[in-house]
Amino acid sequence: MNPPVPAVLAELAGLAIKNAMPGVPDAERASDLGLSAALLGVAAEIWDRQAHILVEENRAVRALLGETGQDADLRLSALKVENDRLRTALIEAHAAAETAGDAALQDAIWAELVAATDRRRLSSAPV
Amino acid sequence: MSHPLEGRLAAYIAGKMPDAADVVVSNLEQISGGASRETYRFRLGWSEGGTARERKLILRRDPPASLIDTERRVEFEAYRAFRGSAVPVPEMLWLEEASYALDHPFFVAEEIAGFQASPQLLLSGAYDAVLPKVAQQKWAILGEIAKADPHALKLTDVMPAPALDACWKRELDHWEALIDRDQAEPLPVTRAAIRWLRANPPPPAQKLSVVHGDYRTGNYLFDEAGQIHGILDWEMCHLGDPLEDLGWSLQPIWGFGSGRAGGLCTQDEAVAAWEAASGLKADPAALHWWILFNCVKGQGIWVGSAAAFNSGGNRAPIMIYPAWWLINAQERAMLKVMGKS
Repeated sequence: MNPPVPAVLAELAGLAIKNAMPGVPDAERASDLGLSAALLGVAAEIWDRQAHILVEENRAVRALLGETGQDADLRLSALKVENDRLRTALIEAHAAAETAGDAALQDAIWAELVAATDRRRLSSAPV
Repeated sequence: MSHPLEGRLAAYIAGKMPDAADVVVSNLEQISGGASRETYRFRLGWSEGGTARERKLILRRDPPASLIDTERRVEFEAYRAFRGSAVPVPEMLWLEEASYALDHPFFVAEEIAGFQASPQLLLSGAYDAVLPKVAQQKWAILGEIAKADPHALKLTDVMPAPALDACWKRELDHWEALIDRDQAEPLPVTRAAIRWLRANPPPPAQKLSVVHGDYRTGNYLFDEAGQIHGILDWEMCHLGDPLEDLGWSLQPIWGFGSGRAGGLCTQDEAVAAWEAASGLKADPAALHWWILFNCVKGQGIWVGSAAAFNSGGNRAPIMIYPAWWLINAQERAMLKVMGKS
């Protein structure tokens, strides 16, 4: 998730403190709290699944790129760094497959991209 | 408790109304939403010729950092150009491009009061009976915007006029550059969409049109009878291909999960209303290009909102919302438009 969840939670904590003080206009307080509640709901939704998504995705992309190895550091920040590296390489591999006319690799990459967007889908997503 | 901007705004407006006395700004409150401008409603009171007067107005002020970077003069002049036409817009009053009065540039406009803009309300079920009427007007008004002559409206004085065969490239170059600048993580579907768009360019624009730039459900005011009373949020207005606006209005994100065009009707119904009003044709292949392009444009906006938050330029929760909800959804929309899912 971008912006990163910890940064967002820290911001929402500050916002809650601000809105607990007197003198905040009602409309501003309502807007802040409504958005904060919705964002906290998203954070709750992704809390349990995020590490699994990244490990699964990293495994799938390594296979497409012909890489071996696995995620040893399971902290979300470490998984995300590896995920970014792999997805950057995947973009390059996809473009190269298009240039080379490698239909089989293109199809395999598209299948993973569809699967990846499904994994990351939020329950409240509009698409 | 009065808002701290009230006194400063009253002093500014008093300087713009030499015949007015006792100028007072009251009930100033920020309207939720608005990630690219701070929007406030307020009441202006004054006396003139011994008569007390009052008017409901809107203040649109630049924030410290924005979801999108736009020129407020362009937005101001776009509203002014369509005032009194078949495109309903509020009256523009004062534009201030300097920062001395309210710390940031701003403009003041008439409030079209008493109507709704919320997509969630419109699509809640309560308005189902009037959705066809809303849809017909929505795309007919967009057709009127497409039909308008930017030269006659004098908008070519404030907006660049690209060649007809350069409209698509100018827009794609612009939004790809913003994604290059702002993305915080790789976007493989978006990058594949950009490669496809460059390899399969659309035909030249049929004409040079005013492009609203954010014409979607949520940016017009409606009533319970399904009448549209105002077209808002012209901050991304520019000149270009008329199919660009149609493509933005039809990109899947703006169905709000309904699977329908703008949450309102079928795509064929929307296109038919637009064609009838504009007198233009929406070539299916060209429109497909512009819908996919607008998915890329949307992604540019969503990653831009995340970048504004991450940089510390704007830490408001409204900057997080589009990034969290829409970056993945936008890639899903691209896959759908490209026939991959």
